[in-house]
Amino acid sequence: MIDNELHLKLQAHLDGELSPAEARQVEERLASDPQARALFAELAAMASVLAEFETEVCLPESREFFWSKVEREIRRESSRPQVAPRPPFWAGWRRWLVPAGAVATVALSALLATRPGLLPAVQADIADPGAFTYRDFAARTTLVWLSYPAENEFADNDPADTMD
Amino acid sequence: MTEKDHSSTEDPALVKAAQRGDMTAFEELVARHRDKVFARAFSMVRNEEEAVDLSQEAWVKGWQRLPQFLGESSFGTWITRIIINLCLDHLRKQKRQRVESIEAMDEESGGVERQMPVVTPNPTANLERQELRKRIDQALGQLSYEHRTVLVLHEFEEMEYKEIAKTMGCSIGTVMSRLFYARRKMAALLASFRRQDLT
Repeated sequence: MIDNELHLKLQAHLDGELSPAEARQVEERLASDPQARALFAELAAMASVLAEFETEVCLPESREFFWSKVEREIRRESSRPQVAPRPPFWAGWRRWLVPAGAVATVALSALLATRPGLLPAVQADIADPGAFTYRDFAARTTLVWLSYPAENEFADNDPADTMD
Repeated sequence: MTEKDHSSTEDPALVKAAQRGDMTAFEELVARHRDKVFARAFSMVRNEEEAVDLSQEAWVKGWQRLPQFLGESSFGTWITRIIINLCLDHLRKQKRQRVESIEAMDEESGGVERQMPVVTPNPTANLERQELRKRIDQALGQLSYEHRTVLVLHEFEEMEYKEIAKTMGCSIGTVMSRLFYARRKMAALLASFRRQDLT
């Protein structure tokens, strides 16, 4: 009785997928096992018959007709307006990020007013209400916090289009 | 507009022209490779109408993806990979929609192929070419799409196990089992057709 592993090894040998050492082992088995030889011969016959006799089928439409369909579809696809991708789930949060930032600024400003010179300074840039500056004079650190996404964050990017 | 004659232009030059937007060059590529693309679709989906529709879709996708084609393989190989992927998507969708047959479930569970008796002598010996082609076609039609696809990719497209596994999204072990089953089933079917002739 031939086990499954040998079945697949016989086939892999036929398809040239074995390492030289494994191929030698299979050859030895074939030389001594008539059952393995019969199975190998059946697999080999099927492989060669299929490789040689691919059904010859032709497209059942004329060159002109088929191309007219392809061309029409290409033009239709290229004239279709591009659908904007759905913004990420957190995009809605932006609505309350700016007011929340402003509230946080006011709170920090109040805190600074009570402890001037000791606490780090936080200020909102008047020219850009979405930008906040954090200054820690003691640590000599300045951070600018932007509450809006970067300019190209919503650029067209279709993750489904990954073929090739 | 004057029609350009591309009949003597080689594929790489046609591809370059098509990449620049020349649709007449692309039309020539379609004319050259349309039968091969259709044949591959038909060998996988076994339905002429669906194969025509999928071929058309492949050519539209081919045009859209042409800027991504860098010439690492031949154009024929590249467009064939597109049709294979489209057919696989189509067959997977179809499979999800239909109730699996008991036979298909048997095939998937494995083991059936190991119990089949070895077919001797070769069931295709002494058959006329035309007759053999017809029987192979008939037998291919009786395989599940997974087994047929593995056979088509291995025997017709000459892909290695690793490449088939990548294309079909399965393990190399699954490819080997499916190929083994498919070959044994084909041998059994061809032998049964021969027995029918004799009775």
